[in-house]
Amino acid sequence: MGEYVVEMRHITKRFPGIVANDDVSVSIRRGEVYALLGENGAGKSTLMSMLFGMYEPDGGEILIDGQKVVFHSSTDAAARRIGMVHQHFKLVGNYTVAENIVLGIEPMKKKFGFLPWVDMQEANQKIRELSAKYGLEVNPTDRIEDLPVSVCQRVEILKMLYRQAEIMIFDEPTAVLTPQEIDFLLQIIDGLRKDGKTIILITHKMEEIKRIADRCAILRRGRLIDVRNVADTSVQEMADMMVGRPVNLSQEKPEARFGETVLTVSGLTVSDEHHFDVVRNVSFSIRSGEIFAIAGVAGNGQTEIADAIAGMVKIASGSVKLLNTDITAASVRERALAGISYIPEDRQGTGVILDFSLRDNLALREYFREPFSKNGILNDEKFNSYAEDLIARYDIRSGQGAATQVRSMSGGNQQKAIIGREVEEHSKLIIFVQPTRGLDIGAIENIRREILAERERGAAILLISLELEEIMALADTVGVIYRGELLKTAPCTELTSQDVGLYMMGVKQA
Amino acid sequence: MEKVFTDGLSFAMPLLIMAVGAIYSEKSGVTNLAVEGFQGFGAFIGALIAVLIMPFFPKGSQTVIYIAMAAAAVGAGLYACLHALLCIRFQANQVISGVVINILAVALTTFFTSAANKAITGTSSNKLILDVSARFTVPGLQAIPWIGGFFRKMYPFEIIIMVLVLFFWYLMNKTRYGMMLRACGENPQAVDAAGGDVEKTRWIAVMISGALSGIGGICFAYSLLANFSPSIYLGYGYLAIAAMIFGNWKIGPTALVCLIFGLAKSGGYQLCIAMQLPSSYSDLFLMLPYILTLLLMVFFSAKNHPPKAAGEPWDKGRR
Repeated sequence: MGEYVVEMRHITKRFPGIVANDDVSVSIRRGEVYALLGENGAGKSTLMSMLFGMYEPDGGEILIDGQKVVFHSSTDAAARRIGMVHQHFKLVGNYTVAENIVLGIEPMKKKFGFLPWVDMQEANQKIRELSAKYGLEVNPTDRIEDLPVSVCQRVEILKMLYRQAEIMIFDEPTAVLTPQEIDFLLQIIDGLRKDGKTIILITHKMEEIKRIADRCAILRRGRLIDVRNVADTSVQEMADMMVGRPVNLSQEKPEARFGETVLTVSGLTVSDEHHFDVVRNVSFSIRSGEIFAIAGVAGNGQTEIADAIAGMVKIASGSVKLLNTDITAASVRERALAGISYIPEDRQGTGVILDFSLRDNLALREYFREPFSKNGILNDEKFNSYAEDLIARYDIRSGQGAATQVRSMSGGNQQKAIIGREVEEHSKLIIFVQPTRGLDIGAIENIRREILAERERGAAILLISLELEEIMALADTVGVIYRGELLKTAPCTELTSQDVGLYMMGVKQA
Repeated sequence: MEKVFTDGLSFAMPLLIMAVGAIYSEKSGVTNLAVEGFQGFGAFIGALIAVLIMPFFPKGSQTVIYIAMAAAAVGAGLYACLHALLCIRFQANQVISGVVINILAVALTTFFTSAANKAITGTSSNKLILDVSARFTVPGLQAIPWIGGFFRKMYPFEIIIMVLVLFFWYLMNKTRYGMMLRACGENPQAVDAAGGDVEKTRWIAVMISGALSGIGGICFAYSLLANFSPSIYLGYGYLAIAAMIFGNWKIGPTALVCLIFGLAKSGGYQLCIAMQLPSSYSDLFLMLPYILTLLLMVFFSAKNHPPKAAGEPWDKGRR
């Protein structure tokens, strides 16, 4: 048996219109943690999907234990002891933990000697043992849909262990976790390495690579840039290689200049369709020139707060005041005209109309009033000149300029268009929900600069983000939400990310 | 009064087997509006085989019926391949495919019934004349007041259907294939990642769906109509789909709903007779199951949990 457990040689993979992997070669040693670093679309996930048998490469070869293999499906890959935790978990929502883990290889018994049936008791027992052995605490009979993401991830890891995987691929495993959960996961990965497993970690976060990985391959636009020993490479070097130019990792934040109170939310409660209170008695206020950030694990009510302020969901009780006007009962349009801009979480569903042109999307906040329309007739010229202006100033890139269908644009440019449209209103309050989710470092830099510029202008900013690092970098004041309640509100300087992480899990009470 | 139970059950059972078929298809992630077409096509194949083999058996032989049932299952199972081909292989819109399958079934069976009649009997008629199924009464149980009606004048196919339903409940809930099938309808990506074959699982489920609907169809032909004609398309396929929905895609509750539908239908009919209304009014009473459907829909639809991935074509390449 040679030194390398996995060798991928000169792999090329094309999708219509794009080369996802261009002559990429990586060799992975048994028992190491090997990281694949790159931005969105760099080809990391595609490369690993081929190792896991989900795609077949157009060129090149894959060797496992020095033997050439051809995988037609993930079943073939699993037979060679390869397992993968996907970024979007592949779990059946209304099945139990155990049912998900054993799916396809259930322990079978025969009733009356001939009737085959699945023995879930035995499966539950086996999973309890496995979970104890690796410190991955789960209850085999819990339903997946009732579990938080961190537990679902444990289920995915157990699924690999149950299938006796020796090579484990993790695709962006920390994207959805709190700092404490990340620590826990990295410990688990370290434990797996000590147990002799080979770990491949797909990520775009340099800090994690620094903490856990032995070696790191950097990919950019489908090409392999370099393979480095992590110990000998600085975070800055990794970032520069990943992006292809020197990157400014820390944003400069000017001194805060707070003004009058712009937004006052008091006793806000929002119920969902099952009459469950997703937001409970939340009160806070934002001054002009202040970035108020809400930190929390996904699904704890933060999106609903934003929607309630923007007028998109009904408020069960409480009030929302903009400057001195009570807008609790105002319509979305009334609020917008009163001075609220909203960059929603669901970019493609709520932020833009995918099948409209960029030009029309940029005019969505203005089309109904002069000079964009007069007596109900749209003014084409104004639409065009306004779009050209925004495209130039916000650096929105697209195939055919203002006429481009938004659907064909990249996520980063769709987001730039939304931000351009909303910021251009010069609103008193701007709500950013997950403004940089899924975007490249370049685009993230750009958007954060825009947020800080609005703060300088004197806007009150509500920032809702799942990225703790983003909150700590931008916020003046942090509110931590847990199960719909603001557990803690404090100036950002008085909190560490560790503190915030503990509040996010509801561990620490204010 | 007992007649309400007797007729109710004999109507509910074919409905149930069709609903179970629909559940199989939908639980695997293929929306199935084609039940009506499946049952009609299955009934046609069953009736055709029955007419062809009848001369070789003594008059009134029940064996013909069982052979016709098997033929109906096979015929409708094969016809269902068309739905599978459109929905799974070509990833067509599943609702439209279902409607097309239904319309096609009416057209094909009407045409071939006339053609077959001409070839076999020389007369052109749009009916394939069948015998009537024998009936039996369960001694003892039939004496129970009220519900004894369930056990009187039973068709043998009612027992066959009960056994089949039990078997298919077991297959769905206790076996490896069943677990795979239900997972396919919730999250096919998970099945693929776990090494299952989504397409194959769905193909089998849709074919099962066809076969069971075909059995339902031939049972209607033998009990309600005593012939096969285009009048077999009475909308009972849609009623089976409604039963599946109120039964929340679960076989047990669906069985109960089918029974309620059956009792509503026979009850309405008996009521009509008891009130000595002219027969033209009976149509009004036969609407009862459908009105019940509307009412149930208002109250129960919100709490249902349809299979999450039903209606979505499975595309392996998509992430």
